Amino acid sequence: MRLPRFEYLEPGSIKEACDLLSTHGDDAKILAGGTDLLVRMKKGLLKPKIIISLKALKELSYIKKEDSYIKIGAKTPIADIIASDLIQKEAKALASSCEKTGAVTIQHYRGTIGGNILQDNRCHHYNQSAFHRSGRQACHKDGGKICYARDESDRCNSTCQSDGATALMALNAAVTLVKKDKKRTIDLVNFYSNDGIMPHAMEPNELLKEIIIPLKGAKSAYHRLACRSAIDYPIVCAGVLIKPDRKNKIRDARIVVGAMGRSPLFLAKVSSSLKGKSINDTNAFKKASRASMDSAAAFAVHNIGASLEYRCQMVSTMVFRALEEAARSAIKAEQ
Amino acid sequence: MSDYTIIGKRMPRVDSRAKVMGKAKFTADLKLPGMLVGKIKRSPHAHARILDIDTSKALALPGVKAVVTGKDTNGTKWGVFAYTRDQQFIQVEKARYIGDEVAGVAAVDEETALKALDLIEVEYEQLPAVFDPMEAMASKTELIHEDFPDNINVHVNIDTGNVDENFEKAYYVREDTFVAPEESYFQAEPYAVMARFDHEDCLEVFCPNGGPHMKSKPLSNAFKIPLHKVKIKKVAIGGAFGGRSEICPADYICALLAKKTGKPVKIEFTREENTIATRQGHAMITTHKTGVDKDGRVLARETTCYMDGGAYSSTGPIAASVPFLSMEQAYRMGSVRYNGYRVYTNKPIRGMIRVHGRGFAAGLDTQLDMIADHLGIDPVEIRLRNSRQPGDYTSTKSFVSSCAMDETILKAVKKSGFKEKWGKLPPFHGIGIGTNSVQTGFPMGIRGGSQSFIKFNEDGEATVMSGVVDNGQGNDNMLVQIAAEELGLLPEDIHLVSADTETTSSDPGSYSQVSTFVGGHAVKIAARNCREKLFKVAAKVLKVGPEKLAARNRLIFVKDDPEKSITIKKVVRISLLNFNSVNAEGGYWPEVDMKREWVKNPYGQMCEAFSFGTTIVEVKVDPETGKVDVLEVTAAQDVGYALNPLVLEGQFEGSVAMGGQGGMLTEYHEWKDGRCINPTMLDYKLPLACDMPKINNIIVESVDPKGPYGAKEAGMSIAMSAAQGYSAAVSNAIGVYMDSFPLTPDKILLAIKEKNEKNQS
Amino acid sequence: MKKIKITLDINDKPFEVFAAPNNTLLEVLRDELDLTGSKESCGEGVCGSCTVQMDGRPVRSCLTLALEARGCKIKTVEGLADGDELSDLQESFIDHGAVQCGFCTPGMLMSADALLKENPEPDEKTIRKALAGNICRCTGYAKIVEAVAHAGNPREHCPDCKTKE
Repeated sequence: MRLPRFEYLEPGSIKEACDLLSTHGDDAKILAGGTDLLVRMKKGLLKPKIIISLKALKELSYIKKEDSYIKIGAKTPIADIIASDLIQKEAKALASSCEKTGAVTIQHYRGTIGGNILQDNRCHHYNQSAFHRSGRQACHKDGGKICYARDESDRCNSTCQSDGATALMALNAAVTLVKKDKKRTIDLVNFYSNDGIMPHAMEPNELLKEIIIPLKGAKSAYHRLACRSAIDYPIVCAGVLIKPDRKNKIRDARIVVGAMGRSPLFLAKVSSSLKGKSINDTNAFKKASRASMDSAAAFAVHNIGASLEYRCQMVSTMVFRALEEAARSAIKAEQ
Repeated sequence: MSDYTIIGKRMPRVDSRAKVMGKAKFTADLKLPGMLVGKIKRSPHAHARILDIDTSKALALPGVKAVVTGKDTNGTKWGVFAYTRDQQFIQVEKARYIGDEVAGVAAVDEETALKALDLIEVEYEQLPAVFDPMEAMASKTELIHEDFPDNINVHVNIDTGNVDENFEKAYYVREDTFVAPEESYFQAEPYAVMARFDHEDCLEVFCPNGGPHMKSKPLSNAFKIPLHKVKIKKVAIGGAFGGRSEICPADYICALLAKKTGKPVKIEFTREENTIATRQGHAMITTHKTGVDKDGRVLARETTCYMDGGAYSSTGPIAASVPFLSMEQAYRMGSVRYNGYRVYTNKPIRGMIRVHGRGFAAGLDTQLDMIADHLGIDPVEIRLRNSRQPGDYTSTKSFVSSCAMDETILKAVKKSGFKEKWGKLPPFHGIGIGTNSVQTGFPMGIRGGSQSFIKFNEDGEATVMSGVVDNGQGNDNMLVQIAAEELGLLPEDIHLVSADTETTSSDPGSYSQVSTFVGGHAVKIAARNCREKLFKVAAKVLKVGPEKLAARNRLIFVKDDPEKSITIKKVVRISLLNFNSVNAEGGYWPEVDMKREWVKNPYGQMCEAFSFGTTIVEVKVDPETGKVDVLEVTAAQDVGYALNPLVLEGQFEGSVAMGGQGGMLTEYHEWKDGRCINPTMLDYKLPLACDMPKINNIIVESVDPKGPYGAKEAGMSIAMSAAQGYSAAVSNAIGVYMDSFPLTPDKILLAIKEKNEKNQS
Repeated sequence: MKKIKITLDINDKPFEVFAAPNNTLLEVLRDELDLTGSKESCGEGVCGSCTVQMDGRPVRSCLTLALEARGCKIKTVEGLADGDELSDLQESFIDHGAVQCGFCTPGMLMSADALLKENPEPDEKTIRKALAGNICRCTGYAKIVEAVAHAGNPREHCPDCKTKE
């Protein structure tokens, strides 16, 4: 499979990259590891005139602790995140999600955390060759007015299958975006747009610089289901965070369900229902898991393999397993 | 113990060195001066009349050297059988599936060729399409092929008589229906073909194939040139699994483009094209009705199967028969009636695949387990009571000479600890057994035999010529092993010329599991004949009778006095000095019933030997997710005789992956209006290294009286029985007999849920 | 499209080639340099047939731009042997019957070689995980895993291990 033609630019600094983005904006795409972008280009899903490579921007690759935050450069390889003791200890959900992403040979080096959370939404009617998509009307995401996954739908129902996004949203992470002379930081909850066509709020002239994870003395976990134990995207996943108080009561909880909607779903109501519950309260976890399933099910369509009914059912199992794991590690930390 | 020196040994394959160095050339690796890139324009509609094709814009594009459409062909239809000729290599009137060939382009590079495809304008009139065999048979809309009423492509009817009477006599009768969707080959190598016409106007073609002679004949017909002018050349092949036996329209289109441009042309398929535009495995709906006596012996069986054949016949009559034949070989059936319908739909073409009929076979074995359950017999016992025995005739009147079915069952049972585990495993932990039999060869008329030539060179080394093709399974090594053994040479002394229609004689190809039995046999006979010539010369020198001689390790020696010897090289030179070249030929034609025909007369000797396989599988099911963890697989097969246990084990293990792990747990195709939703390696779930279980291999040797050294089919009985074993194990783990395959987590979870609800009410 | 002259360090030798921005490393290796050992099977980074090493790490050459490979030490299957002398891993693949059709073999070797450089005596689980991104349709992986485990570490019980004289 060939890539379409494009011009290749390799800025030497973040500033230079921002300048290029401000000049070329819509015509340009950022290339980091290429594991998502280049595949979409090969299928003819996008044909950027210009590719701006981050290859030379070594300054975008780091993991560090600053005050009560973990800061991760957008171009940090997924392998580095798995290898980081800091993240294994303080942001377990992210470490687990990276361990599950792709296969080792992809993770090792090419795949980056920025690329992972900015990966485009997927749908098995859309992520197909140009030939497959010919001879029928174009779908919403492909510039048309039809959805093959849900009849009569007036919008795109593509699914966000990023492992990292779900885990990071559970960790209440934010991202820092830079553009020429400007910089903004936005919580992931607000960053993801719930729009299948443009799944996040990044502007064409912006560059993802950094991911910021607040450290709150909380424990997190990430569980996902996929057909095979490597390579595959999740068909359902859950990231959770539990912050216990001194009496082992849950002070704060976050439940995020992924691969079920157009963006990772932060279930605020279900999350807050756990507040004040004991960290050993399996029944509360079960109830929250079932409620998560009910909330998330409404968003999902049959478009990423496995039956819809099954995926919905598995939300509850994944959330429960993640809650149990997070609670276990909270108790362990206490001892 | 045998006294072979090379046969029966764990011999690393002769072709491996080039492969680990990256030197082996596959079709896509080939390059010729002036070579053009070919691409195929395919129909994006499932069923559509072709009203007009305008190629002018494509032809006007700089770099485009030729465009071909149906108008460039004589419109003849191809088919494996005279009565299944239904496929044009480029469609003229209408397209019958998404992917059907409508035009071809040759250009200076890939980018230009792809651009040209977009510039070809095809005007279609869309026709109503059918995507399900039952729907297709009932459809009142335009037939997919006008001369096949009700869209029924092939109907195989087998009836041994007394079926209804025996159902009457049966102690217990049950009828169950089993379904399985399509599966695919996913050979590692995407299909590719390179063609050119040489200076003598001979057509030279390189492509993966399951038998070069199966490709040359249709090309000779299509181009109206004699067979000797079609040269299918040898090239490394990246897997076939039954999917590369027949002519591919791309072969013809590539050759036509080469003819039109006077240049070599190469077409490389994308992964998607390899999935949708070569072959797939049939989807099947199978109903088995079985009647047994009190002891669980089958008295009568009636099976009806509807197969989704896709848009064209392919090997339709064979495909409609083989799932049934495998089971009638594996089990005694008393009396049996079979109706197999292969039905046209507007989907990709279906052909033979290593696990052809997974739902059929797993269904039959599942039902056997249900019957055993009802009668209070264990799964092993009911199989032993119905298993095929040596000296039997199958229901369709094939004599079974060698058969160690029971031994495969008993050895697998012992190794796996089945008896200790059955009924005693904790909840959601299960064990299951599957048994199957595969034919070593099909009746193939004039192409049923193989012939080999051997010549000695003056340095005492030999060139062996054989039509046998190696798709990756190790056939080249098998031929070298046999020749070296018989000639008394070392494997490195043998130069193999094979799978080339210019230099080698007709051969059945590797798709009916017959390469060793027929092709290997021919080499063995040729080598023996050649050795006789060497012995005649050596006898004179050593002054003993030729019958007293043996050959080994490049020497010919007196059996009773091994010190008395002469090198083979010397014998060859003496022979040449006496005006005699050292060469020989040998051929083997299996004695099958030439009157047997798939549809008209499906009775008589099918082939000379049958293999028998048993697979036992132990699994753990996660009751919360329905995911299956396979703990251990034990595979035992009666292979007749193991020519090379190292290669054989590889066949067993590959069979467990494709037939069991993939075939029963993950692999299937999904569709939307005739579009294949998962044509890629990301979305079609092939098993990975990290998911494969431990596999125990057990080689059982019945030493077939006709097979070379007693060998027969090896590996495929495992692929088939693995599917059955996996399904039995999962059923046992969850306590529900599954009737829909593959056993994906959603189905497993649903079955557990329904069972729990039933138990509660 | 304008091609750019680049220098690639492949198997310890510099190669000057002309590459367009949209050329993948795999295309340059196969089409420009005739290094056809690396294969294209899926073209989208899933199957691992195109795996080569960049600075010792296995990567998908079908999803790597040739221009992005500049400045890296690239190793392909053609660079595993020392002339005619095969590496222990290559020998082990042959001896253990790990090669069937051989199409996935080059990519499989490059992943396994990278693993062994990091961990010369990996256990079975580690090997299976390291090869999870290399799909083989023929072997069921058993003999491949064995070949990697025994490469340079011959085992006494193994009938296929050859001890070097």
